[in-house]
Parts: sequence; structure tokens; C-alpha cells
Amino acid sequence: MVATSAALLLFLLTAAVLPGLLAPGNPLAIAPLEAFQPPSAAHLLGTDESGRDLYTRIIHGAGPSLLIGAFATVIGLGLGGVLGAIAGLGPHWVDAGTTRFVEVLFAFPGLLLALLFIVIAGPGPLTSTVAVGLATAPGYARLVRTQVLAVRRSAYVESAIVLGRGWWRRLVRHIAPNVGGTLFVLVTLGIGQSIVWASALSYLGLGVSPPAAEWGAMLSAGRTYVGSFWWLTFFPGLAIVLSAASTTLLGRHLQQRTRSS
Amino acid sequence: MPQFLPLSAPVRAASALSMIAVGALVLTGCTSGATTTSSSEPVTGGTLIYATGDAEPTCLDPHVGGNYPQALVATQYLESLVSLDTDGTPIPWLAAEWTPADDGLSWEFTLHDGVTFTDGTALDAAAIKTNIEHIQDPATGSSTGYLALQKVTSVDVVSPEVVRLVLSSPDSGLLESLSQPWLAIESPTALARGTDINCESPVGTGPFMVTAWDRQNSITLERNPDFTTGPADAAGDGPYLDTIVWRFVPDSATRYAALASGEVDVIDNAQPDAIVASRSDDAIEELDAPRPGASNRLELNSGKAPFDDERVREAFIRSADINDGITSLFFGTAERSYSVLSSVEPLGTSTPDLFTIDTDAANTLLDEAGWTRDSADGIRSKDGVPLTVRFPVSTNQSIPAEQSLFEQIQATTRAVGFDVQLEPLDLSSWYGALGENQYDLVSAPYTKVGPDVLRILFDSSGITPAPSGYFANHSQINDPALDLLLEQASAAPDATERASLYADAQKIIVGRYFVLPLYDQQNHFLFRSDVQGLRAMPTVSTPTFAESWLDR
Repeated sequence: MVATSAALLLFLLTAAVLPGLLAPGNPLAIAPLEAFQPPSAAHLLGTDESGRDLYTRIIHGAGPSLLIGAFATVIGLGLGGVLGAIAGLGPHWVDAGTTRFVEVLFAFPGLLLALLFIVIAGPGPLTSTVAVGLATAPGYARLVRTQVLAVRRSAYVESAIVLGRGWWRRLVRHIAPNVGGTLFVLVTLGIGQSIVWASALSYLGLGVSPPAAEWGAMLSAGRTYVGSFWWLTFFPGLAIVLSAASTTLLGRHLQQRTRSS
Repeated sequence: MPQFLPLSAPVRAASALSMIAVGALVLTGCTSGATTTSSSEPVTGGTLIYATGDAEPTCLDPHVGGNYPQALVATQYLESLVSLDTDGTPIPWLAAEWTPADDGLSWEFTLHDGVTFTDGTALDAAAIKTNIEHIQDPATGSSTGYLALQKVTSVDVVSPEVVRLVLSSPDSGLLESLSQPWLAIESPTALARGTDINCESPVGTGPFMVTAWDRQNSITLERNPDFTTGPADAAGDGPYLDTIVWRFVPDSATRYAALASGEVDVIDNAQPDAIVASRSDDAIEELDAPRPGASNRLELNSGKAPFDDERVREAFIRSADINDGITSLFFGTAERSYSVLSSVEPLGTSTPDLFTIDTDAANTLLDEAGWTRDSADGIRSKDGVPLTVRFPVSTNQSIPAEQSLFEQIQATTRAVGFDVQLEPLDLSSWYGALGENQYDLVSAPYTKVGPDVLRILFDSSGITPAPSGYFANHSQINDPALDLLLEQASAAPDATERASLYADAQKIIVGRYFVLPLYDQQNHFLFRSDVQGLRAMPTVSTPTFAESWLDR
């Protein structure tokens, strides 16, 4: 299972970095007279409503789809990390203030928070990435705070204080590495979730503009034809599911390994 | 059929209805049910569920604003002064007869006797005056009705039955204008309640009345028990239906699935693939009613660069290859148009030669216009400005197949160096983009009976917004010669002269590459074959349920 996930992820990463290697065609090339062709030898996954090759589009869509997922996670983690660290390391009143703020953000369902941001900033790939990042930030903030607090009260940090080490050294040498391990696992888990959310936003027409090859946008374009031409929605949907599932599986695997070690 | 159904218990009513349906089937035998006109006796009663894919109106009074979604539903509860027969000839409706003055500067309408609105107010000449003044009042915020009545300067009550419209200049399209739902006649008592209340529950003389509006879900229409009017070509003595539930179902796949399962009886905005799929289903029938007025077309904003240069406009049109796309995306349900007017408009002229694809010519034109191709991505530029074309697309007004077609236009014009940027927008953002002149290309449907739609869409005065903020001249043509032609055509008393003037006007509009016609404004309805007596009004092609009944 883990090996399959890793292989799949490797394939998707190759598609994201070097799409031309796996699908040399142009994902935007139209051929109206070849529209709605079912999967065949000529078109592995069929063609869409404008006669574009679905396989080519899904391969070329890996880049934007995964990139949005990865960047959103980085933003969410970065923001959440800073908030969580401030809460965990700061004096009581800072902790209380930051925690209240995070709790207010928590009161909104994540996707709603993302939508709110898009309403303010306007739709587009960049805003949807930031939106998903913002929406996931409260979760990360809470986890980081708990981790930081746990490490901060650990015996080795107390020893470092006794030994007269400066706060900076304590942060870099002791706290950051110990919190970082857990965070790495969180990241792999988070990417899967972010891919799904970013796809959801593109599906709603709030992310990547047509006709760009992006899985959520492709899913949205194909939904009109769901009753007549199943492959238009099935394959982009499968790509989302597989990428989210494989990163999540890998994340869980890493999580178990760090726990058992 | 006795009226024993408890309307307050819809579930019980539904099961009772199915019993009636069985009974009706036994009584009438096996009716063919395949046509909209049936030889069997109409059945009174029942609830018809209509699922619309059009945007939910913000106001049910079509005087306010004035768009097609309003016209669709208002056709069921409001009536106009006149209607049209299938040849487009005006026929009596609320007005029994009319006569223009010899100079064409005034018209007298004689109303039918004894007609009342559903709130009990009498239909008289004063009511007509109130309605026209309501449409013309800037506070109402009318655009479609307002633009259609631009030549009406005053309304005189001659007698309780006779009303006179005074015009600033002759208007050969006046009756066509008055036949539209956006100029329908409402109860003056109801209008006096103020815009907010009237928007919720407009009152007319039509076959049904608005009884409830559950926002973002449905409008409930119930039969007008005192219905006496109807256009002169109405069949039968309906209305037969007790209730129409007008549901908003924006997703096209959901809409079709609901129809196929029998959950709803009629759907509009049927998608091409659904129309094709329905042809193999005996339980579903199709009503194809192309809208009058303008064809669906792309308008090129000549008010600013780059389309202020005719060569650039021609290059765009010469490279926008859409014929194959229309064939594949619409599965043969839409035919390519080469006219700025709908195919149902007799005065439309079709000029396929102007729209032949010629990428070599397009490249040459762009070279001549100074747009050079030196960037790596193949997009042309001039003085460092790329040849970017902004194209806001209303996702409410353009069906998915049409949005795909726009993507294909983007791909084919890119081959000669255009960078078309598609911007899918909701309706209000889309109006906003137009209002701020943030567009180079736009597809804006406009429905109006008759060729006078050209005056609204292409007269230079249309660059100035109507009271609602809407402006209709999206190509921003500002040509005094065209303005003159359109005014002369509108005032021309002689049919031949009128036709020739409109032909000349169209020559300017398409000949100078202001528009790229796509196809007629698609208006496909699918309905369960047990819905009988459904027809589209010959005015603006909205379906009417005044003569409909359920054969079940």
C-alpha cells in the first residue's frame, strides 16, 4: 500500500515537474470534431467537450493542482506555525489572546473561511491558494501550540534553562527540531486535504480560470455532461482522489513510524 | 373535475392527483400524448412543476429591470395590450382594437369591457396610463420596457375604455414593443403599494396569480378563477391547472434528471446533450422556441483599443473559427447564424461571406495595424502592449456549451496572436464589468420583438445607460449614419422602405465587424409528454401554461 502510494506520488510529481515527458501533447489544443470521444487507443482517457485529450490535460493538470495544494499547506503551516509558536512560547496574556483569536477562526468551517477570503480578494489561482492556506491555518496553529507547550515543559528544555542557554539557542536547538518532526507528518497529511479543497474552489469557479488544465476546473466543466459522457468527470475526479489518498497514506505511514521510533 | 383537493396538504394532493391520473387515463384511453395539441378533452386541476435554469428574478414585476427570467414567469400572471400571431401580426389581447393617427404620432387603444385584475381593480384607460408612466418613471429602474417606450411622450385617457399614446415620432415597432411581457399591464392599485411589495406579489389579469415566493426555492402560482381574457389566438377555455410550482434548479444535469424521473414536468434551458438524450425517451417532448430580436453574438467593444481599429476587429472575426465547435457542442440543436437578428425575424439579413475564416488575411490585417509578433508565446503586441482581449462571461446567461465555445474562440484566435482572457463572472459582477467598460468582447443576449432591437443595441444613444444602469450598445458603435438609418426605419410607414432601411443598417453593423453572430438565442424546453397544450408565445417565445393541462 505504502509502496503503491509512493510510486503513484512519484508519477504525479513527475507529471507536475515534467508533464511533457509523460504527455507530449498540448493540453489546450482543441479539435472540435473529435469532441466527446470515449477512452480509446488514440485517446487513452477520451476527449472532452472541445476535443482536447483528457490524458494530456490530467497530466498537465498535476502541476497546478499539486502546486496549489502544496503552497496552500505551506501558507497554512507557516501562518499556523507562527501563531502557534507565539502562543506556545509567549507569556500567558499573549497565549490567551492568540488562542482566543484562533478559536474565533475555528468557529468558521474551513471552506467558509476560504470563500470569505475569495469574496474579499476576488477569484483566481493565487487567491484560492492563499484562501485554502488561511482556512487551514487555525488547525495548524492549535497543533503547533500544543507541541510547543509540551516541548517547552520537557525536562531537556528545563535543563537548558538551568544551564543558562539563551532563548534563541533553546528555540533553535531544542524546540524547533522536536516540533518539526511532527509538523513534517502534518504537512504530508495536509497536502492531500489542500488538494481537495483547492479542487473544490476551482470546481465552484473560484480558482483557476478556464480552459486551464486543473483537476477541479475540469471536473466542473464536465459535470454538465455527467449523464452522457462519464469520462469527463470520472478521470479528473480519480486524479484528485488518488493524489489526496496517496499523500495521506504516506503521511499516516510517516506518522506511525515517528511514533514507534 | 370537482375541486375537492385540499390545497394546504400538498402530499395528500399529490397522491390524490395520481389517482386522478389513473382515472383520467382510463377515461381517455390511450392518448398518443406526443403532440402539444391533443384531441382529447382537457382535464381541469393538478399541479405542474416547472424547473427553471434561469437566474431567479430579484423582482417579479418585469417593469423593474426587465430580463428574460422575469418574462418567463410573468407570462403566467401578466398580460399585455396586444399579442402577435405566429406570422408576427399584432392581434388583440387586453386591447380589443387600435388605430394610429394619420401622421403616426398617436395611437388609440380600445380596451375589452369588464376585465378586472385579480385584486378586483378594473382594467381601464387610467390603468394603462399608470402602467406606462410606471415604466417610464426613472425611479422604477426599468431598462427593457423603458427603452421600448422611448418615443412615447404622454398617455391620454380619452374615455374609460379608450387610451391614447402620443409619440415624439412615428414608431413602426410600437405594437411589437407593447406585446412584450416587460410592458405587461399590472393593477394600478398593486403598483401603488410601492416597489418592494409589488416586486414580491405583482397583480395582473393573467391565467395565474402569484401566491407565494419562497426565495431560492420556488414561486407558487395559482389559477385565476375569474380569468376572462387571453390573446385572440388562445385555444380552449383554460386555465386548467390549479397550481404551477416554479422551481429554481440552476444545475442543468440535476434539472434533466428531475424531468427524466418525473419529479418535475417542464424544464427550460435544456442542454444540447440532454435534448439529444431525451429524443430516445418517449415520456419527454421538446419545444424549440428561438427567441426573437438579436441573435446570440459576440460584440466587439469599438469604444477602446484594440477593437477601436476596424482591421483588428476584422482579424478577430476572420480567425474565430466556431462552426465545428457549434456542430460538436450543440449536437445539431443549434444552427450557425450569420445575422445580427434572430432567424425568426423576417427582416434579418444573413451574410455568411463576411465571416469566412481566413487566418492569412487576419495575420496581414494585424501586421498592417501595427501589432507585431515578437514574443515567444506568439501573442502580438504594439508599443509594448500585448494584444489582450478581456472577455467577461456571464455564467448565468451563457450555458456550459457556450462557455466551451468561447474557449474554442480563445484557442483559434490565439493562432493569429490574440490573447483572449475569459473571465467567468456571476451576473452582478458581469454587469459591473460592463458598466466600468472593463471588457473588449461580450456576449449579451437581448430579446425584443422585431428589428427595432437594432436601434436599442446599436444606436449611439445606447451607450448612455438606462435608469437601471444597463446600457445596451455594448459594441459602442457611434455612427451618425447608422443612427439616422435606424431612426428612419423606425419611423417608416411603408413596409418595403422599412425593410430596405433595416438591411442597410445591418450592412453597417456586420460589414464593419462590430459583431460575430453565433446562433439564435437558444430556447429549448423539455416536458413530460403528459403535459398537454403547452405552447410558446409568438411574442418573445416564453412558454404559456394558460392552455395547458395534465393528461394523467
